[in-house]
Amino acid sequence: MVMACRVINKRRHVGLQQLSSFAETGRTFLGPVKSSKFIIDEECRESVLISSTVRLLESLDLTSAVGQLLREAVQAQSNTYRTGTSTLLFLVGAWSSAAEECLHLGVPMSLIVSVMSEGLNSCIEEVVSLQVPIQYNVFDRMVNTKTFSGPETFSVGVYPFLQIPSGTGLIQKERDLRDVASQSLAIYSLSGRPVKSPQLVRSQDKVEADENTSQTPQTLKNSLLADTRCRTSVLTHSRHFSRTGNNQWISKPDGVLEQLSAATPKTYRCDDLVELEVGLSHGGLSSMKLVDEAVRLQYQNAGMQQGSCTVPFLFDISRIFTCCLPGFPETFSCVCPGYITVVSISSTALIKELQNQPIRVVLVEGDLTENYRHLGFNKSASIKTVSESLKVQRDGSEELWTDHVLQVLIKFNVNLVLAQGNVSERLIEKCTDSKRLVIGSVNGHVMQAFAEASGAVQVTYITQVNENCVGGGVCVTIWRSIPSDAADEINRMAIMLRTEGINLVTVVLTSPVTAQVQTKEDTFWTCAYRLYHALKEQKVFLGGGAVEFLCLSHLQILAEQSVNKGNQGCSGWLHNTSSWLASSVTQYRPTVLKLLANGWRRYLSTLLYNTASYSSEFEAGTFIQHHLQNATDSGSPSSYVLNEYSKLNSGILNSDISDKLEQIPRVYDIVTPKIEAWRRALDLVLLVLQTDSEIITGLEQTQINSQESEGFLFL
Amino acid sequence: MSRLEAKKPSFCRSEPLTSERVRATLSVLKGIVTSCYGPAGRLKQLHNGLGGSVCTTSQSAALLANLPVTHPILKILTTSVQNHVSCFSDGGLFTAILCCNLVENVQRIGLTPTTVIKLNKQLLNLCTSYLKSEACGCRIPVNFSSTQILLCLVRSILTSKPACMLTTKEVDHISTLILRAFLLIIPENAQDHIILGKSIIVPLKHQRVIDSTVLPGILIEISEVQLMKILPIKKSDSFKVALFCVSLSGDLSDTGEGNVVVSYGVSLENAVLDQLLNLGRQLASDHVDLVLCQKVIHPSLKQLLRTHHVIAVDRVGVAVMEPLSKVTGTRPIGSLDSISPSSYGSVKELCTAKFGFKHFFHLIPNETTVCSLLLCNRNDTAWDELKLTCQTALHALQLTIKEPCVLLGGGCTETHLAAYIRHKTRSEPEGILRDDGCTQTELQLIAEAFCSALESLAGSLEHDGGEILTDGKYGHFWSVQADSPSVVNWPDLLSRCGCGLYSSQEELSWSFLRSARLPFVPQTCLPCEATDSAGNLTLDCFTAKLSGLQVAVETANLILDLSYVIEDKN
Repeated sequence: MVMACRVINKRRHVGLQQLSSFAETGRTFLGPVKSSKFIIDEECRESVLISSTVRLLESLDLTSAVGQLLREAVQAQSNTYRTGTSTLLFLVGAWSSAAEECLHLGVPMSLIVSVMSEGLNSCIEEVVSLQVPIQYNVFDRMVNTKTFSGPETFSVGVYPFLQIPSGTGLIQKERDLRDVASQSLAIYSLSGRPVKSPQLVRSQDKVEADENTSQTPQTLKNSLLADTRCRTSVLTHSRHFSRTGNNQWISKPDGVLEQLSAATPKTYRCDDLVELEVGLSHGGLSSMKLVDEAVRLQYQNAGMQQGSCTVPFLFDISRIFTCCLPGFPETFSCVCPGYITVVSISSTALIKELQNQPIRVVLVEGDLTENYRHLGFNKSASIKTVSESLKVQRDGSEELWTDHVLQVLIKFNVNLVLAQGNVSERLIEKCTDSKRLVIGSVNGHVMQAFAEASGAVQVTYITQVNENCVGGGVCVTIWRSIPSDAADEINRMAIMLRTEGINLVTVVLTSPVTAQVQTKEDTFWTCAYRLYHALKEQKVFLGGGAVEFLCLSHLQILAEQSVNKGNQGCSGWLHNTSSWLASSVTQYRPTVLKLLANGWRRYLSTLLYNTASYSSEFEAGTFIQHHLQNATDSGSPSSYVLNEYSKLNSGILNSDISDKLEQIPRVYDIVTPKIEAWRRALDLVLLVLQTDSEIITGLEQTQINSQESEGFLFL
Repeated sequence: MSRLEAKKPSFCRSEPLTSERVRATLSVLKGIVTSCYGPAGRLKQLHNGLGGSVCTTSQSAALLANLPVTHPILKILTTSVQNHVSCFSDGGLFTAILCCNLVENVQRIGLTPTTVIKLNKQLLNLCTSYLKSEACGCRIPVNFSSTQILLCLVRSILTSKPACMLTTKEVDHISTLILRAFLLIIPENAQDHIILGKSIIVPLKHQRVIDSTVLPGILIEISEVQLMKILPIKKSDSFKVALFCVSLSGDLSDTGEGNVVVSYGVSLENAVLDQLLNLGRQLASDHVDLVLCQKVIHPSLKQLLRTHHVIAVDRVGVAVMEPLSKVTGTRPIGSLDSISPSSYGSVKELCTAKFGFKHFFHLIPNETTVCSLLLCNRNDTAWDELKLTCQTALHALQLTIKEPCVLLGGGCTETHLAAYIRHKTRSEPEGILRDDGCTQTELQLIAEAFCSALESLAGSLEHDGGEILTDGKYGHFWSVQADSPSVVNWPDLLSRCGCGLYSSQEELSWSFLRSARLPFVPQTCLPCEATDSAGNLTLDCFTAKLSGLQVAVETANLILDLSYVIEDKN
C-alpha cells in the first residue's frame, strides 16, 4: 500500500474552485421560479427531470473529495430540515469565490476564517430583528376566517425588491373583530419609550396559563424583558394591519417586532394560518394548498378526538402520507383522511365484499414470507434436515407455512393484513381466495397510525398474533380506478382504508406527466416542512430577500465601520488573541467583510433574475445597489427594510395596486433552517479553504499515470 | 501435490538514514504533520480516491491511523506516536514534529550515533527534571477549587483543532460541557484513591453545536417504533434490571464446522425459542422491571415480557455495556440457562427523551459516575473531529487530576525550555557530561541541535507567514507580522506572548527566534499572582507533553541508531 499526498493549494486553491463550479449548476434553483433540468446519462441514454438541489446532487457524479463533502453537507441539511438546500448550494458557490478572492488579495488564511465566521455570526444576530412571531392560536382562528383560494390566481411575490400583483383576490380577508376589541390596552409615548403596558401584562397571563404548551420559555422571557427595557429603532407608517396610519414599529430588545400605535395596539404578528401558508409557499402554491387541507383535516380530527381542546393542536407531519398517481390530470390531486394505496385490480371483488363493514386487522412489521427472520437473527447454514419417511414433499414447507398463516387469520377472524415489508405471492393468492386482503410495503408511520386507531399491536411473526394484537373497525373502500400504465399493462386501483378517528391524512399527488410526479412530491414535502418548522418555532422571517438584504447592508456598514473606527468591537473575533493575526485583523477586516457581503449581493441578484423580473443579473444588481444606498443612508438598515415592507402595502411603490393592498401576499421564510443553511455553507467553504493537501490512501504508484502524478508525493 | 518455491533472499540495506529516498519521505511526513500543528494548522482531506468517505482532519490520531506508510523508519516513527496518542490522547503532532526535527538536525552535525544518543538522553533528563521541579518557569499548579485553569486547558485543546468548525461562542459552550461531564464522573465521596467513572459521547449529527448537552446517567438510542411499544413507565423508587450480553435473538449459537443433521419435524428454532420464553417467564417471576440486551431480543420474547409489564430494550451496543453493568450493579448475563438472582441490579429512574430527531431511553442510576455527552455538529467530518477532540480534552482533564499542574502552551514552553537548556549547557557543562566521555564541544553542538528542534517546533505554530520572536527575560514565544520594519518599537507591534501570560508592556529585549542570541537565564518560578490575573491562557496537558517529549527523543535516538534494515521479501 502506498499513500499519495497532493498539495492542493499552491497559488490557486483547487478545492474552492471545484466548490464554485459545482455550485454553479444549482443556480437556477434559487427562488420561487425554478427551472427544471434534464440530466442525461450518456451511456444508457436514460434521463431524469429534476428541479431541486438534492435531486441534482443525487444525479451528479461527484467522486472528488470536495464534491463528496458538498453532497454530504446538502444531504445533512435536507435530512434535518428538508428545505434550504438551494440556498446552501448557492452560498457555497458565492462564498468560495469570495474566499478565493481574499487569498488573491493576500489576506492570511486564518484571518479569512475568523472574520468570515464572525461576520456571519454578526449577520445572524442582526436578522433577529426581522423575525415575526406566530400567534399560538393560529389554529383556533383558521376554521372560521379564511379559505385558501385556488392556485391559478397566484403569481410570484418577492418582496421588498419585487412584487407582481396578480390583481385577483388571493385571500379573502375578513378582519377579525377581536383585534378591535382589544384596542387601547397599551399606550406608548411617541418617543418610543414604553409606559406601563396593560397588554403585555395581559399576554403574560396568557402565557402563564398555558406555559408548557404553546409558548416556549424563551418567548416568555422575552415578553417579560420587553416590559422593562427601553425600546429602540422606532419606525412609522404601516397600513397593513391598521388603517389609521399612525403606527409605530417597535423593535423589542429580543428583536421581536411589535407594531404599535396609540389607537390600535397590535403586535406585529402573523396570526393567520392562510397568510402564513401563502407566505411560505415560495411559488409552490398548489402544493401549499394541499398542505393547508391536510393541516385542516388533522386539526378537525384532533378536535373530534379531544372534544374540548385542552391540549393545543400540534401539526404532526409524521402522520401525513403521500400517494403518487401518475397519469391523472393535476386537478385530481387531493387530500383525504385515512390511508390511500394502490392494489391490483384483481382484488376488486374481494374489496367489494369487504366494503361497508368494519373488519379486523393485523399489523406485521417486516416481511410476511416464510423465510423472513427478524433483524439480528443469524441463520445457521450448517443445519440439514433429513426426513425418515418419503411421504413429506420437499417443497411443502412454504405451503405448510401459508396454511398456518391462514389458520391464524381465520382463528382471529382477521380480514386485513398490513405488512411493512414484502408479502409472499402465494399467501396473497390464498388469502384472496378466503376473502382476506393482504397489503405489503406499508409505510411505518401508517402502521403506527393504524395501531393507535384500531388498537392493534404490531407483530413480527404471525405466530405472535393473539386476541390483544388484533385491531378492529377498519373500513375499506374502492377509491378510484387507475388508468393502466402503458408500460406495465397492469391494471390497478386505489383503495382507501379508514378507521374511526385515525390520525392519518393521505395526500394524493397526480400529474399527467410521469416525470413530474417526483418533483411534485418533493415540492409538497418542502412546503409541508416549511410550515411545520414555522409552527414549531413559532416565528418566521420576513421573506423575499429581506433577510439577505439586511445581511448585505449590515456587512457593508460593518466593513465601513472597521475602516473608520479601527480595532474597536472586534475582540473575540479570533480564538487566539495573542497571535500577530489579532493585531492585524483591522487591516484585513473590511476586505473580507466586503467580499462576504458580495456573496449576499450575488444571492439577491440571482434571486431577482430568476424570478424573471429583470433581464440580467446586472440590472438586478443595480436595483439592489439603489436600495442598499438608501438603507445605508437611512442609518438603520433594519428600519429601512421594515419601512419598505409597509410602504408596499400602502401602495407607495406600486401605486396602481393601492386599491388591492390587502390582496398582496407577504412572503415569509423559516428561521432556523435558513440560518443553518448559511452556517453549513460557510462551514463547508472554510473547511475546504483550510485544507492544504489531499491524502489518498491505498493508491499504488503505478495507478497514477505520469500526467497525473505531477504534484503527488509518495510515502 | 505441493509445489515448492525457492525462498527469496532477504534484502539488507545499511545506513538507511543516508539514503536520499528516506530523507525525502521523512521530509514529506514532516511537512504533513508540521502543517497540521496548532490553531491555525492546515487540514488534510483523507480519502481512498474511490468515492469513500472523506475525513477532514488535523489530528495525529485520525491522520496516522489512515496513513499507510511503507518505509520501516517511518513506521517506527508513526507507531511510537500512535502509542503515545493511545495512552495520552494529546500531543501526537508535538511528538512527531519534535522527533522529525531532532533526526534532521542531528544528521547535519555528523557526530557518531553513540555520542548523539548519549547526549540526547542527558538533555532529555535535564528537561524532565526541570519540568518536574518546583522551580520550573513554564508550569502552573492547578487549583481544583476554581474552574479557570481547567477551562483554559479545555479551550486550548478545542481551539487547536480548526476542523471542529467551532465559533467562539460554541467553543465556550463545549468547554463548559466537557468540564461538567468531567465533574460528573468524579465520585462524590472519594477516599484515598478515587475511581473515575466514564463519560459516554452520544452522537447527534447534523444538529447545531449549541444543542449539545450533558446528562447524568446513560442514554440508549431507540427507534420510534420501539418507543411506541414501551409501556408508560410506572412510578417507582427503584427498578430491577437484568443485563444480557448474549444475543436473545433466538438464533443458534455458532455450531462450529461441519453440519448438524436434524430429523424432519424437529425445529431447532422452536427449541431455542422455548428456552427463551422460559427465560422470560423467570425474569417476570423474579419481578424484573427492565431487561437490557447488548444484542437483539426475539420479538416473541419481547411480547411475552411486555405482557408481564417488563420493559425490554435491545441493541444497546457494546460501548455502553461496561458502564451499564457498573452503574446498575448488574452482572452481565451470558447464558440462557436460569439466572442467579445476584446478577440483577437496579436503577433509580427511567425515562424517555427526545433530542433532535432521535429518541433515547434515559437511565439514571443510584450513584452517578457515568454521564452522557450528547454531541452535535453540523456535518459528519466536523463531528468526527469534534468527538476526537472532546475525548482528548476529557482525557487531559483526567491526567491533570493525577498530576495537578499544566504547562504553558502557545509555544512558550518550548522556547522557554530551549533557553533553559542553552543556559545550563553553557554554565554547568560538567554537571551534564559527568564521565560520559564526551567533550564540551560535542555537548554544545548537540544542545544547539536539540534547542533548535524545540524552537522550530514552536515556530511550526505559525502558518500565515508571520515571524517568531522570543524575549530575553522569560524566554517566551511572541509572534509578529512578517516584514516588520527592522528598527521598531516592539511593544507597539506585539500584544501578548503565545500562552497569554505576559503582555508587551514591559521591556523584554525581544529578538528573532531564528537569529543568533546570547544565552540568558530565563526567569524560573512562576509567581502565583501572574497566573491568577491572566484571564485567558493557552495551556497544555502536563503529563501528555512530558511523555511526548520523552517519546520524541527516544524515538529519534532509535532511528539514529539504525544501521541496517533487513527485509524479508517472501
